[in-house]
Amino acid sequence: MIVALVAVAGVTLGTLGLGTWGMRFARTTSDLLVASRLVTPWWNAAAISGEYLSAASFLGIAGLEMQIGASALWQSLGFTAGYLALLLFVAAPLRRYGSYTIPDFAEARLHSPTLRLVAAAIVLVIAGFYLVPQLKGAGLALNVVIGSPYWVGVVVVAVIVAVNVALGGMRGITFVQAFQFWIKVFAIAVPAILLLIHFGGLPERAALFGRSLPHAGSRGLTVRLGSRQRAQFPQAGSFIVHGQTVHVRAGGWVSLPAHTPISIPPGGVVPVAAGTPALTGARWSRPVGGTGQGAPVLVYSLLIATFLGTMGLPHVLVRFYTNPDGYAARRTTVRVLGLLSLFYLFPAIYGALGRVLAPQLYITGQTDDVVLSLPRIAWPGAGGTILTAVTCAGAFAAFLSTSSGLLVSLAGTFSHDVWPRLARGRPQGASLRRLHFRLAALGAVVIPALVALVAQGVDIAILVGWAFALAASSFCPMFLLGIWWTRLTARGAAWGMVAGMLVATGMIFAGLALGEPTGGALALLEQPAIVSVPVAFATMIGISLVDPLRVSDVEQQMLALHAPEGLGLRLDDEERAQLLA
Amino acid sequence: MSPSVPGRRRIVRRGLRTPREELADATAHGHVYLRGLQRQQLTLSLLALVTFGAIFGVLPLALYLVPAFARLELFGVPLGLWIVVVPMLPGFVLIGWIYQRRADAADEAFRELVER
Repeated sequence: MIVALVAVAGVTLGTLGLGTWGMRFARTTSDLLVASRLVTPWWNAAAISGEYLSAASFLGIAGLEMQIGASALWQSLGFTAGYLALLLFVAAPLRRYGSYTIPDFAEARLHSPTLRLVAAAIVLVIAGFYLVPQLKGAGLALNVVIGSPYWVGVVVVAVIVAVNVALGGMRGITFVQAFQFWIKVFAIAVPAILLLIHFGGLPERAALFGRSLPHAGSRGLTVRLGSRQRAQFPQAGSFIVHGQTVHVRAGGWVSLPAHTPISIPPGGVVPVAAGTPALTGARWSRPVGGTGQGAPVLVYSLLIATFLGTMGLPHVLVRFYTNPDGYAARRTTVRVLGLLSLFYLFPAIYGALGRVLAPQLYITGQTDDVVLSLPRIAWPGAGGTILTAVTCAGAFAAFLSTSSGLLVSLAGTFSHDVWPRLARGRPQGASLRRLHFRLAALGAVVIPALVALVAQGVDIAILVGWAFALAASSFCPMFLLGIWWTRLTARGAAWGMVAGMLVATGMIFAGLALGEPTGGALALLEQPAIVSVPVAFATMIGISLVDPLRVSDVEQQMLALHAPEGLGLRLDDEERAQLLA
Repeated sequence: MSPSVPGRRRIVRRGLRTPREELADATAHGHVYLRGLQRQQLTLSLLALVTFGAIFGVLPLALYLVPAFARLELFGVPLGLWIVVVPMLPGFVLIGWIYQRRADAADEAFRELVER
């Protein structure tokens, strides 16, 4: 896989190099503000999309689609629709308000340093949760590229990103992120289109939409496992190991040995790893109701989490301040909708092709790999090798851009919001703050990396779903009520966010403790937003209404949020930058 | 140029104060102007949200309740799959674009009112 290794190394070095080079031109906040006047909405939109498209979008959706069927595709709809919610309720007012981070906004809008600390703690949790699946993706990808154990990829990418962020590279550079977006679109679209052309459309319609279970192709298939694996035959079938044919009855479990070729005869049904459902094509292709995770209430819960959670992702919001004004923020967001819709046309193709062309991933249970290994498995020879190199490079672009953005948010929150409170009033120089940022960047990657090592068995898409559910249950109500409702108080916002977080995390961990529950209401534990979001809103509104401590200057706050620019009614960015300088 | 000049001008123009002055001084009138803009923008956003919900929000339920609808085929692929993957491209962008134009227009109208 030397081709893939070269492609991955090229993307990695190119990204890091461009980022470091670009930093020379944007040293200070006011430099960034001035530069932002030159950035058109299209560039900004590509940059936002570039930072947003993570391992979950690049690998997770296709992997989950292959595993549980078309109901996984609601993820891509929700990931895009989240920007519509952002456009309708948040983009322009937040840009006009001019706070640069979520804790900044929380403190300025409601005059509460305590609220800033609560918001900062939630930023740490959400960004940490979101970082885990990126590192998990890196472990899988490096395994496909050079066959290294899972933990090697996790550690390598964690170290690269931490060192790079600590050294100050790749911080909020619009052009680098925009470039990353187009790399990702190219890397997911070109192999998908070429594979469709190569196979003349979607092959094996019976396995995709008909009665067939996943089965071996007309030449059979041979797989070599990295570790001993338990798998179940959904129908009576057979496999060949050490030259002997083993027949298995329907529903029978087998223990497949490692490091030895295991063959499935031509057209034979493949055994599926524990935790992977064996579905007929008809059930697999149903967007709702085909499987446990396709139950309507779970689909709606996921849509709520993604629709409302996008506005609460810390690394996404920062990027909106490169828009020169509220009008541009709206225009940029509309373009983001278009660019993301373009990208999300393609993951679905990998999931479908993977089901018929790479059924061995059902045996290993590694459906999360499908985008990376499908071209190589389905198209032996140079064509497949090159296309796998392309998708691997795109995946690395996704890990690097998203995890850098997240780590900058983590380290920034720690050094800017949390540490000064812990240090209690001791004066801090700029160089000391920069040191804290660097230490925080190195430290903040440790816990997510450890969690990623433990979470090898959890699907990427589910991990990311949790980060969205947390954001939707905490920051979304704070933004929506803070921007549009004059009666919100600091106490109401704090308790609402805490309540939403507690309910959401409580449900997620209860679900983990019970093992993956599949039936009935318990399945909601994996997809908590439909419960936790209303709880957060109700708590925030209820406590604000009984709270005697109202915000004193609420008229000025509303003016800052909603009045258009250029009326001379409030500080513009340049005046603000002059005040800060 | 005595420091009392701005104050005197203000007294002279009492009764003819512009919306800008009302807003800048956070008077009751300014409050009404701003609340009008805010309500207009919120109505617009909610309208777009309802449109979105009516089109995309009912999709999962419709596909669940009427499986035969999802089974219809288009170019050999079930309609259910097409619906989940493709229509967001034109649908989301169109709703977003129309909203953006209306919201910008509302801001502009407010700006003209204030700068009058």
